[in-house]
Amino acid sequence: MCAASLPGEVLGAPDRDSDEELLSRARAGDPEAFRVIFDREAPGVRRFLGDLLRDDAGADEGTQETFVRAHRRLGTLEQTGKLQGWLFGIARMVFLEQIRRKRRESPMPEPAEDFSRTDCGPSPEAMLLSAESDRMLEGALADLDVERRSALLMRIDHGLGYGEIAAAMGWSLQKVKNEIHRARLQLRARLAGYLGEGAR
Amino acid sequence: MTHPTQEELEAVALGQSGDPRAAEIEAHVAGCTDCSRELAWLRAERALLGRRPQLRTAHLWPGVAARLEHPRRRTRWAWRIAVASGVGAAAAAVLFVALRPGPLPVVQPQQNARRERSAIDPKTLAALDRAEADYRNAAKVLEGEYDRLRPRLDPELARRWDETLTRARAQLGESRAVAADDVNVRMRVLDGYAGYLRSLRDLLQESEEANP
Repeated sequence: MCAASLPGEVLGAPDRDSDEELLSRARAGDPEAFRVIFDREAPGVRRFLGDLLRDDAGADEGTQETFVRAHRRLGTLEQTGKLQGWLFGIARMVFLEQIRRKRRESPMPEPAEDFSRTDCGPSPEAMLLSAESDRMLEGALADLDVERRSALLMRIDHGLGYGEIAAAMGWSLQKVKNEIHRARLQLRARLAGYLGEGAR
Repeated sequence: MTHPTQEELEAVALGQSGDPRAAEIEAHVAGCTDCSRELAWLRAERALLGRRPQLRTAHLWPGVAARLEHPRRRTRWAWRIAVASGVGAAAAAVLFVALRPGPLPVVQPQQNARRERSAIDPKTLAALDRAEADYRNAAKVLEGEYDRLRPRLDPELARRWDETLTRARAQLGESRAVAADDVNVRMRVLDGYAGYLRSLRDLLQESEEANP
């Protein structure tokens, strides 16, 4: 089972119920409210897990598992405004369990860090114009340590605040900042290598 | 103005326009090579990631709904082991408190070993006994679940697991007998129980996934 692409899909409507209201109804046992939460948040969770796992079937399964666990733990979410970060925290645990299971079958070596090219000037236009940019990005993300990748994606792909990331990862704020900074350096070093003269 | 912070630049790149200093930051960036380069990178990263298509996930809902309505059997033993582990953790906490070292007179290592072995607080021993009992109870629950699932396993795999579990149980029994009242050795026995439980849990999880 694989998630289908939907270019330009607009999620949610301007007059949609607030997270707080939905959570309150879901906690009271309203299945429709939880369904709405799923519809809103599942695409982000699925994408996050897809970026971490790079396995469509695993990401689909992980998304389902994340929401099953979230439903079970609705009562533990203290700040309703932090719903997305809370879901990502659960998704991260689901992901870690999946990779632990996979590692038992085939251990993966940790990638070496190489920040030597991060002083190159960026050339975003070159990145965006490159036909291979998607594959390049995928490869660059794949090279990051999984925990570091999680934090970076939460920040730049899903727009979570540093505090929310700290809560989701179980890290200190300073560690979140350090890890995201290192992830960026590593990502840029890798991306710069593909951009030829335009990137230097 | 001084250079904006990384978070401020990120907020600009992410289009989070809530920062009242946004205009000031943009003006600074326009005249600052370093900040301009950093913002270009941030925007490029954002653009690369953001232009990817959204994903449809509606087809995943029926699976979630089904599991909410009919939770997997796994939750039963997972719940039990959670309870058992919780009790075990409580026992370990008691043990930790009981073992907190007070001021000891300076003695030679050999004397010290004899002293530790002979001067165990009865409360410490009781806590160790309780922790072991908790682990044994949890193991019984998981072994029962294994017995239930075993007929569905591949016979060769089941035979190998039987051997592994029998060996682990025998080693635990021997270690426990050797440990007697030696606190350090008994702590290692507890580690052994924890490892045994983890093996059982993994076995059950894999068995249930292979035979839903």
